[in-house]
Amino acid sequence: MTAPALSVTGLRAYYRTSHFGVEREVKAVDDIDFQVGVNEIYGIAGESSCGKSTLIKTIAAAIRPPLKVLAGSVVFNFGGRAVDVYRAGEREIDGIRWRHLSYIMQGSMNVLNPVRRVRNSFVDFAFRHIGRSTAEFTRVVVDHLKRLHLEPEVLDAYPHQLSGGMRQRVAIALATVCRPEFIIADEPTTALDVIVQKGVLAMIRDVQREIGSSLIFVTHDLAVHANLCHRLGIMYAGRLVEEGPTSEVFRQPLHPYTQHLVSSLPRIGDAEPKKGLEGAPPSLADPPSGCRFHPRCPVAMDVCRGNVPPMVTVAPGRRVACFVAAPESRP
Amino acid sequence: MSATLIEVAEVGRTYAMGGLFSRHRVRAVDSVSFAMETARPEIFTIIGESGSGKTTLARMILNMVAPTEGAIRFRGTDLSTIRGAEARLKFMRAVQPIFQNPFEAFNPLKRVDRYLFMTARRVAGLPEGEVEGAADTALRNVGLSLAEIRGRFPHELSGGQLQRVAIARALIPSPALIVADEPVSMIDASLRISVVNLLRRLRDEMGMSIIYITHDLATAYYISDRIIIMRKGQVVESGDARTVLDRPQHPYSIALKAAVLSPDGTNEKTEVTSHA
Repeated sequence: MTAPALSVTGLRAYYRTSHFGVEREVKAVDDIDFQVGVNEIYGIAGESSCGKSTLIKTIAAAIRPPLKVLAGSVVFNFGGRAVDVYRAGEREIDGIRWRHLSYIMQGSMNVLNPVRRVRNSFVDFAFRHIGRSTAEFTRVVVDHLKRLHLEPEVLDAYPHQLSGGMRQRVAIALATVCRPEFIIADEPTTALDVIVQKGVLAMIRDVQREIGSSLIFVTHDLAVHANLCHRLGIMYAGRLVEEGPTSEVFRQPLHPYTQHLVSSLPRIGDAEPKKGLEGAPPSLADPPSGCRFHPRCPVAMDVCRGNVPPMVTVAPGRRVACFVAAPESRP
Repeated sequence: MSATLIEVAEVGRTYAMGGLFSRHRVRAVDSVSFAMETARPEIFTIIGESGSGKTTLARMILNMVAPTEGAIRFRGTDLSTIRGAEARLKFMRAVQPIFQNPFEAFNPLKRVDRYLFMTARRVAGLPEGEVEGAADTALRNVGLSLAEIRGRFPHELSGGQLQRVAIARALIPSPALIVADEPVSMIDASLRISVVNLLRRLRDEMGMSIIYITHDLATAYYISDRIIIMRKGQVVESGDARTVLDRPQHPYSIALKAAVLSPDGTNEKTEVTSHA
């Protein structure tokens, strides 16, 4: 048993603004604990504005005001070297980025500079991390592209000459060219058509397998999680509400929110009427008291209104934050 | 008065691409035909990837783009013969659009209730006293109310709520046909089902016909009566939705169905070296 590649403990990150004496606080990430194993694909699911992207930013140490980390730690383990993102200096973090920890962003069209050839994007991102001569650098990049079944000619193309799927593949190649130990993918397939999406997911899986890195995969599309991730964490309104091996979460969801998500998925071959979830996701500036899901929860009890359910382990590898699913956690 | 609501006959649209010296033509839509009956409201789904011409077809049905070949007839009237403000308004009252991205469909600097009032006044032609009532009725049909929406800006509503406001706006003139171009693709998976259920209710309870354009086969299976599958401007397969999606015949339809990720199916996964 080796150490996990990433341990997040008690992480709390709020947006704090103060304009003309009006204080506002948005609790985007509240008390999140989880770990990602080596060579593991960990999925994070949740609807928009549930704090997924903020969580990713805090993990990747990309905090800019007004976002503030109030508590908790994010510790990476790069081949035995532990790096605490919020204790390490600026310099150390800079050295880690892209070399050990890289990022596949949403909307590949916005990642590549539209007025420069793809080659220049590779130079900008990766040259100083690979640290070889120009000729050798080109050789490394071309080898990497070939392994990902991309033609080396894409280096001489401008982003607009490539299709959306191709640009997303280039963005993946860009994020993995330094063979990082840890990759974060933020909705990399959301804007793509189904056939293209399947190809891009296969590519992510291949590259992860080849490098043997750990991967955090964020999307709101549960079908993608079912086909890619080993373990799945479900987020609701800034908190992690359930976690477990993907197939078990789908087979037997514990939290009422997860149950709704899984049961409302449309499937080919199934035309049974399905019910949508009533109400809207809560505002993180003024979240409901107690369990943040209780205003929309079909099985809410009195205890849910006043008390925050803790995340408890209910079975090996399965955690849930719900007083109904885990009665022993009730106060 | 014929019983056909809309008839699309051998419709094609060609765009000229390129500059002065490298001119070539792209056939966005190539001889597509189908018809919908007035007496039988249904959800007619057009499936295709980006670049398959499905949005161009929708724009032609909405009379925003003229076909270069063939004709579209709405209740027997050829759309290309619609002239003058009054005739156009009459057409707009009967055929209403819902667009893909609700955040782009609404101006971020204007309050959303204003769109409902404008549609009630100008398109539906209601007198001032009935405008608010019509907006409220339409909002109640989509599970919202004017009290919730009044004075709100688009950024204050979630994507699902905003898309429901867009649908409510389309309902105000009581159209016979709604053209919904990817209405759920920008909405979270968890909210999709409520918008899709809403389209279903419009058909079942209000007797509206809906042309539903999407690339999502799962929701298409869930609500459609008939579908056509388009590729590069041409219809490759058409028929009853359940039959086509259960047993697709054309190689492209088969590939499309195979690419859909099933929530139950798990493909092969890598072995985890260490568990956390």
